[in-house]
Amino acid sequence: MVLDPAHGGVDPGARGTGGVRESDIVLDLAAQVKRGLEAQGFQVLRTRSANENPSFDERSALANAQTGGIFLSLHISSTGLSGTVRVYTMPDMPIPQANGGLIPWDQAQAPYLSLSRRLGDAVQGELAQKFKGSPAEVQTAFLRQLRTTAAPAIAVEISSVSIQDKTELDKMLPGVAEAIVRGVVAFRPSYVTPAVPGAAPGAKP
Amino acid sequence: MNPKWRVRIVVGLGIAVLAAAIYFPILKKRVKLQALVQQKSEEQARRELVQSLNAVSDAPKVKAKLFWASDADDSGLAPTTVELPLSNEPVLRAKQVLNTLLAGPVDSELRTVPSDAALLAFYILPDGTAIADFSEAMANSIPSGVQSEQLAVDSIAKTLEANVPQVKRLKILIHGQEVETLAGHLDLTGTFPVSTAAPSKK
Repeated sequence: MVLDPAHGGVDPGARGTGGVRESDIVLDLAAQVKRGLEAQGFQVLRTRSANENPSFDERSALANAQTGGIFLSLHISSTGLSGTVRVYTMPDMPIPQANGGLIPWDQAQAPYLSLSRRLGDAVQGELAQKFKGSPAEVQTAFLRQLRTTAAPAIAVEISSVSIQDKTELDKMLPGVAEAIVRGVVAFRPSYVTPAVPGAAPGAKP
Repeated sequence: MNPKWRVRIVVGLGIAVLAAAIYFPILKKRVKLQALVQQKSEEQARRELVQSLNAVSDAPKVKAKLFWASDADDSGLAPTTVELPLSNEPVLRAKQVLNTLLAGPVDSELRTVPSDAALLAFYILPDGTAIADFSEAMANSIPSGVQSEQLAVDSIAKTLEANVPQVKRLKILIHGQEVETLAGHLDLTGTFPVSTAAPSKK
């Protein structure tokens, strides 16, 4: 598992009026998700574990170097109904022509889209049960971070930094982490991991 | 230290300070001029738009469909019908509807794009690709987040789809440049198919 707490370093991400910074909260959330996944036997890597800002490509590269990796990008929005959580995958992408068995970097997500949607639906389903008002199904958005990731990849976005009391947001994090872990555990058996990093994936029906 | 070298270093430093004293006001003037040019280009874009709107103000009003947020929580888009004297010329028509979109709905809570953003240029290529060049405020003033950035692009694409059938896909530039993302999330390196507002890579 590769967890990606978005933003960091000079990029704080979304900022709330009360000084809430997206880059700090997602770091906390990543730590909680990591503990939960490790308790389920997953090996977990993070794209950052401190206030750093790796590039989009550096974050994708960490996932693309793993065999059978799963990528989760964690976000807090500026907008949306407070207390809800949405999961995103990429919209349809043309399947690139494999060049000597390699997937082009800028379309790396294309062969993994159906797996990403299956993962997204599993996680979104868990989140919808815990957080009323959240969508029942995964959403699509053309996200730069997901495009270059050669693995089942989703972005999870919590609403929002505009929340009046930061403790309300802090209280959400354990529930969000638990739902993510449950969704990933439910998805894992359907993912046939490729033989080598970056190769096209397989999926059980 | 050798006294000769000491003198040379002092003279060298003196020359550097003098050069900086002369160059700094020039540099300051250049930066101000650059800012003025940028401001003028955005003002020019607004002026051209007003002129273009005036030029077709005699055109019969038609019902244009504009897409703003359906509620203040940005959960989706809803069409609003506005009567506008729209040109039959596709580029001018697109400029008119996009600038009406930028002007915003009656309820400012339902805005999808920043109030200080301006459309600097708009073209349609022969293959139906529209190039919309927005001022930097489009990227700098939009609330950061997947949802808000997606809603902004969807509202632009759907408004074009509803009113300018010649547009098949949309490329968004910020101040004349291709940028990696709108505000840290949504990918602007590709084009967005206007029929579905879901983007694709060329």
